[in-house]
Amino acid sequence: MTERLSRTALTSAFLRSFLIQGSWNYRTMLGGGFAFAMLPALRRIFTDSAAMDASLQRHLEHFNAHPYLCNVALGAAVKLESEGADAETVRRFKLAVRGPLGSLGDGLVWATWLPGVSLLALTLYWIGLPGWVAVIAFLFVYNVGHVGLRLWAFRVGLADGREVGGRLARADLGGWTSKLQVVASLLLGALVGAMLVGADGLAAAGPVWVALAAIACLAGLFVGHRAWRPAAVTVVVAVAGLSALGLFL
Amino acid sequence: MEIVLVSLLGGLLALDATSVGQFMTSRPLVAGALTGWAVGEPAAGVAVGAILELYLLVSYPTGGSRFPEGSTATVVAVAAAGTGSPGALALAVAAGLVWGQLAGASITYLRRANARLVPDPGQGPTSTRRLAAGHLGAVLLDFVRGVVVTFAGVLVVRPLVGGLVASWPVPPGATFGLLLVGGSVSVGILLRDFGGFRRHRTAFVVGLALALLGARLL
Amino acid sequence: MPIVLIRIDERLIHGQVVIGWANQLRPDRYVVVDDDLAKSRWEQDLYRLGAGGVEANFVPSAEAPSRLAEWRDAPERTILLTRDVGTMRRLAEGGGLAGEAVVVGGVHHGPGRREALTYVHLTEHEMQDLESIAAGGSDVYSRDLPDAPRVDLDVLKRRWKSSS
Repeated sequence: MTERLSRTALTSAFLRSFLIQGSWNYRTMLGGGFAFAMLPALRRIFTDSAAMDASLQRHLEHFNAHPYLCNVALGAAVKLESEGADAETVRRFKLAVRGPLGSLGDGLVWATWLPGVSLLALTLYWIGLPGWVAVIAFLFVYNVGHVGLRLWAFRVGLADGREVGGRLARADLGGWTSKLQVVASLLLGALVGAMLVGADGLAAAGPVWVALAAIACLAGLFVGHRAWRPAAVTVVVAVAGLSALGLFL
Repeated sequence: MEIVLVSLLGGLLALDATSVGQFMTSRPLVAGALTGWAVGEPAAGVAVGAILELYLLVSYPTGGSRFPEGSTATVVAVAAAGTGSPGALALAVAAGLVWGQLAGASITYLRRANARLVPDPGQGPTSTRRLAAGHLGAVLLDFVRGVVVTFAGVLVVRPLVGGLVASWPVPPGATFGLLLVGGSVSVGILLRDFGGFRRHRTAFVVGLALALLGARLL
Repeated sequence: MPIVLIRIDERLIHGQVVIGWANQLRPDRYVVVDDDLAKSRWEQDLYRLGAGGVEANFVPSAEAPSRLAEWRDAPERTILLTRDVGTMRRLAEGGGLAGEAVVVGGVHHGPGRREALTYVHLTEHEMQDLESIAAGGSDVYSRDLPDAPRVDLDVLKRRWKSSS
C-alpha cells in the first residue's frame, strides 16, 4: 500500500531521518525527531485531520534507537500507517523494535565501524601520508557505509513493515560486526606500528616512552573504559605541571 | 574576525555529532583539518586533530558528559595551537580535553531544554507547525550552543596556550611521547572491545607488520 | 538454581538485561511470560533479535505456572521475564515463586502510576500485587543493574507513598 505514497514523500521522510536526533531530550529521546520525519508521509496518508493528529501524537511518544538503523522503524512505521494499521499495533511494533535497533546499531556502527575507519585514517596519517589524504579517506569510506546502511534500513522497513524481524535476523548484523572486528583489530595493529615508527613517533621519543605506552595499552586492555579518564587526567595534569615548571625555570 | 569564523565552524561541526547527519565531520581528525584550513595552519590542524582522535577513539557519539565533546574541543585546540610547535601541540591537546569536558556538560543542559521545546505527547494533540518549530528550534539551539562553547573556549584557551608555549620545558621527542602514551590507553580499550588480544592476535600482528613495512616504503 | 533471574521489566529483552544482567548471569535462555506476545510471531522475532543469540521462549501466563518446575530442573540457565506486575502475580499464585527473588526492573510512567524509583512507577493495584507476591514467600525488591544496590519492597512502598 506504500504505492499510495509518492516518491517525493518517501524521499522527504528519508532526508528528514538525518535530523532524527535533532531534538534529543530526556523525556521522549527521539520522539520529536521521529514524528518530524513521519510528517511528509502522514500528510499524504491521512485526509482526516483528527486521524492525522492522533497519529502524529503517537509518533511523538518516547522512542530511542541507533540513528542509522532507526530508519528500519521509520520505514516500517510509514508502511504500517499507510496500510491503516491500528494504533496499538504501531505502538507495540515501536516498543519491540527499539531495543534491537539500538543494540545492533551501537555494536555495528559506534563500537566497530566508526573506530575501525578512524584507525585506518590515523594509520595512513602517521605512516607519512598527507593529512588531507587521511581525512578524505576517512570521510569517504565511513559515509559509504553510513549512507548505505541508512538507505538499506529504510527500504527494509518499508518493504517488510512489522514483519521486519525475520529479515533483520537473516541480515545477521551481529555476524557482520564480528567480521568487521577482525579487520578493525588488524587496523589496530597497524596503528600501533604507525605510532611506533612514524615521524614524531614513540621509537623516536625513546625506549622509556615505548615502555610507558605499552603499560598504558595493557591498562586499557585489562581495565577497559574505566582506564580512560585516569589516563586523560594524568596527561592534562602533566602538561599543566610541566608548563608551570617552565614558567619558573 | 577569525574568532567568529572559527566559532561558526565549531557550531556547525557540533551539530553533526548528534543533531544533524552524523557524517562524522564532528570527529577530531576532520574537525582539526577543517579548523586548521580555516585559520591558515592546515598541518597543525591535522596534527592536533589526529592526537585528539586517538584519545577519543573510544568515545561514541551517544552523547552525555562522560567524554569530551570532540568537535568543539578540537576546534578550540586547533585555534589555540598556532603553528603547531610540539609544546603548543601538548598545551592545545590538554586544553582541548578540558574544554571538551565542559562542552560535553553543556549537552546535558541542551537535552533538558529540548524536552521543553518539542511537544509533550502527554499534553494532548499538537499541530504540525508546533512540532516543526520545536524540532528545528532544538537544532538551532544546539548550533548556538556549539558557537558559544567554541567562542568562549577560544577566548580562554588561546591566550593561555600563547602565554605558556614559549617556556615549554620539554624536548620535542618526550613531548610527543607523553601525548602518545596517554592515547595508548585507547588502543588497549579498543582491543578489549573488539574481543580481546587472544582472539584477534593474528590480525593484530599482521596489521602491525604491514604498518612497519608501509612506513619503511614511504 | 537454573532460574537465575526473575524480573518484571516492560522492556523485556533489551540492553539493560542483555548487557547488564546476562553478561554476569550467562543465561542459556530467556522465558518471557506474556499472553499477547505468546501469540504474536512478528513481535517474538523482534525481541529475539535483541537476545544476542540466546534462545528466547514466549509462554502464555496460563501455561507458565505448570512449567516452573520444568525450568527449575532443566540444566539450562533461565532468565524469566514478565512485562508487568500483574502477570508476575499470577505466576506467583499458589506459592509458585516461593523462595525465589523477584526483581522489579523498569516499569515506566503511565496512567494512574506513581513514582517509586526513577525506573519504577506503580499503580495502587500493582503495589498490592507486589505485596501479595512477597506474602507468598518471594523476596521482592528493585534493582536496575546487577551492580546497583537493592531497594527492598518496604523502601519502595515508602517512596511510592510519599510521591504524588
